[in-house]
Amino acid sequence: MIAYRLARLAVVLLVVTFLSYVLLNLLPGDPTTQMLGLSATEEARAELRRQLGLDQPLLVRYGAWLGGLLSGDFGTSPITRVPVAEELVERLPVTLELLVAAEVLALGLAVPAGVAAARRAGRALDQALTALGFALLSTPVFVVGVLLILLFAVTWRVLPATGWTPLSVDVGWNLTSVLLPAVTLGCAQMAVYARLLRTDLIATLQEDYITLARARGLSPRRILWRHALRPSAISLVTAVGLNLGALIGGTVIVETLFGLPGVGRLIVDSIFSRDYLTVQGCVVLISVGYVLVNFAVDLVYAAVDPRIRRA
Amino acid sequence: MRRRTTLLASLALVALTACSGPRPVAGPQAPSSGTASPTAGGRLVYGLSADAAGFNPVTDQFSSQTYSMVGTMVETLVSVDASGAWKPNLAQSVTPNSAADEWTIKLRQGITFSDGTPLTGEVVLANFKAQQASPLTSSVFGPVLSAELADPMSVKVKLRQPWVAFPYHLAAQIGMVLAPASLADPDAAGRAPIGTGPFTLKQYVPDSRMVVTRNPTYWRKGLPYLDEIEFRILPDGQTRAQTLEAGGLDAMGTTRDEDVVKFGALKDSYTVHRPKGMAVAEYMFMLNTAAAPLDDVRVRRALAHATDRAAVIATVRSGLTEEADGPWSKDSPWYDAGGDYPGYDLARATSLVKEVEAEKGPIAFEVLSPPDPSTMAGVELAQDMWRKAGVDVTIRQADQADLINRAVVGDFQATVWTQFSSPDPDGEYVWLHKNYAQPVGSVALNFSRLRDVQLSDALDSGRSNPQPEVRKKDYATVQRRLRELVPFVFVDHLDVGSVIATTRVRGIVDQTLPDGDRRTPLTGAPVPYHPFTQVWVSAK
Repeated sequence: MIAYRLARLAVVLLVVTFLSYVLLNLLPGDPTTQMLGLSATEEARAELRRQLGLDQPLLVRYGAWLGGLLSGDFGTSPITRVPVAEELVERLPVTLELLVAAEVLALGLAVPAGVAAARRAGRALDQALTALGFALLSTPVFVVGVLLILLFAVTWRVLPATGWTPLSVDVGWNLTSVLLPAVTLGCAQMAVYARLLRTDLIATLQEDYITLARARGLSPRRILWRHALRPSAISLVTAVGLNLGALIGGTVIVETLFGLPGVGRLIVDSIFSRDYLTVQGCVVLISVGYVLVNFAVDLVYAAVDPRIRRA
Repeated sequence: MRRRTTLLASLALVALTACSGPRPVAGPQAPSSGTASPTAGGRLVYGLSADAAGFNPVTDQFSSQTYSMVGTMVETLVSVDASGAWKPNLAQSVTPNSAADEWTIKLRQGITFSDGTPLTGEVVLANFKAQQASPLTSSVFGPVLSAELADPMSVKVKLRQPWVAFPYHLAAQIGMVLAPASLADPDAAGRAPIGTGPFTLKQYVPDSRMVVTRNPTYWRKGLPYLDEIEFRILPDGQTRAQTLEAGGLDAMGTTRDEDVVKFGALKDSYTVHRPKGMAVAEYMFMLNTAAAPLDDVRVRRALAHATDRAAVIATVRSGLTEEADGPWSKDSPWYDAGGDYPGYDLARATSLVKEVEAEKGPIAFEVLSPPDPSTMAGVELAQDMWRKAGVDVTIRQADQADLINRAVVGDFQATVWTQFSSPDPDGEYVWLHKNYAQPVGSVALNFSRLRDVQLSDALDSGRSNPQPEVRKKDYATVQRRLRELVPFVFVDHLDVGSVIATTRVRGIVDQTLPDGDRRTPLTGAPVPYHPFTQVWVSAK
């Protein structure tokens, strides 16, 4: 089972890194433009291309990078002259914390909202939560971010507008610096999760065994939280795993908006400066993360629904 | 009820956490002076729109943001005063021979780098050699024949040709002097350069912040005023402005006209500093004079005639800027009104287009633009104006790296462009001289590929002639030829790039050079930069 998953991970990595390498190389321009600027001579550019190996065919360069990766070497960025692995280690905690905080906030708000909407399906609260959900889904991330900054930082001055304090420096300030970005990132996810849970919960509440439980006199709260919620959470758990990609995409915007030094910012900067090695490092990191999270989701299925475990 | 109480308690906890403890973005305040006299101490948080690609002036491409950051640690041999004239900085004097083809740079005594190494002629010579060998900066050293030690504190630079504006180049990246330890380890210097500057590096987190702290052994007595500066990297212009409003920043650089308007109206709380004179870059459309249909001067003139500069300024600059008709603004000492720049005249534009179309058929071309919305708005406006004159224009989006690459090899017909902010007109030599124009497909620094003998001769004369009145005449010729040949459709002098600070931040534009002259207040484009040596914070 694990060997099969590892093999699948290797294939995913190979395909994703190759495609991203090819796509990046299809972009016009190369790192020499960023490194030498406007005033460099043709000879200087050609020499730098040779030094960086950019005069080699694409497949040769990809092969060399892959060979390095197999021995644990992500390469060194020609732009910053810093090892890519070092850069990723510096940036990963920021993005990881942002992702976890966004998921926790989204789930923490979506579960009660979904349950409340399902319990009162079709009534005023359900309609209000549905309207709020659609509003959050249809509002772009950057608009949510700007509005939150306007309210919490500019008007009320209770949270910092931008900037990042690492967890290791100050826990309190770390939490305040991650709160607005996490809410911004988690808003749309919250709406999706609440809608999914509401729909599945309404269906579950119409199952025969729920009717039987009611007939046996179990309290509505016990039926809802104990017997209906778990089987209704399968779609939600799946969505959490699948939405990781959307969340990572969102970090690119949120990290830029709030000035957070995470992997999202690194990807954007590296693409603009044609820093192929750093982009490849980020792609590997995200691919591995995505596969691992979905592996974890598979394990959670079994915990949520015993029928899957038995199968 | 209990859940509601828990929720309220959680919110209160969050609020309490937000307001408790020392907030990392705000440091110790300067004591209240109550007067306009500078006060030592304090911490400044300064917002920048982009991080540096590296801090090593020998190996890393510098943007204006990089100059802001590195300028606190590494200093230049020469600086520029408020009148636009070059003045010695680390150098005590910079003296030419009678032909201006040999310059002797004599250094001030008693200057040390922050690691304790003394600044000597030998160190400056080693910096020159490193710059000359660097692919990044070697082209600027083209006219330099050799550099040698004249005495322990002087370096003699021999040139291939007379070059009266040579010292101006020492006020920029190639004039920055690194300590021997930084020259020996370029990678380390890329992250933590050692210089003679008023501050030393305390912390650098890429894409987040750089903190510099006061250099206790700084050679200018009593300076700097500030104890610490934190540069905060905030790429999004709107959130940067909101952070300033929220008190998370003391000052910031911006290119947004809405910031200039908004903070400019709040005079009690903020000061807005905008560049002037030669420091202001021009916003324009650069035309490839070697590619059809823009190789025909009539088409280029038609485009200029069709461009309603006033409408562009009113629409995308909130009416803040001045119309441009050449590379230098009217408040520059080098400005000359000579020549006939094709001003807005749609009828004339249409007539020129018809004339060309009768000979060569329909006129169509592509204009490049970076994909950011504010730049695109200006380009779309121009596209609409040019279409009214009968020219079929399509817009192609190109990110910065692609756009620069295309400009360098001539793979474009027209592109939106910002340039011309050198303190001396000679700084524009390589961008305009015919010797730097190459056919399409070859790397050329003269991107418009205009090969004009009169213009090039005037640039040569301006470079080599020491008489100011002769130089003035030469650069008048340059401006006249640019207006006649229209390799650029000038739009405006882009002085909305500015520094905005809270009123407690003082001294941004009131700084002096080591010999007492007033320093040029702001330099660079699109966001101007300035030194921090004499910036101070008032509690008031």
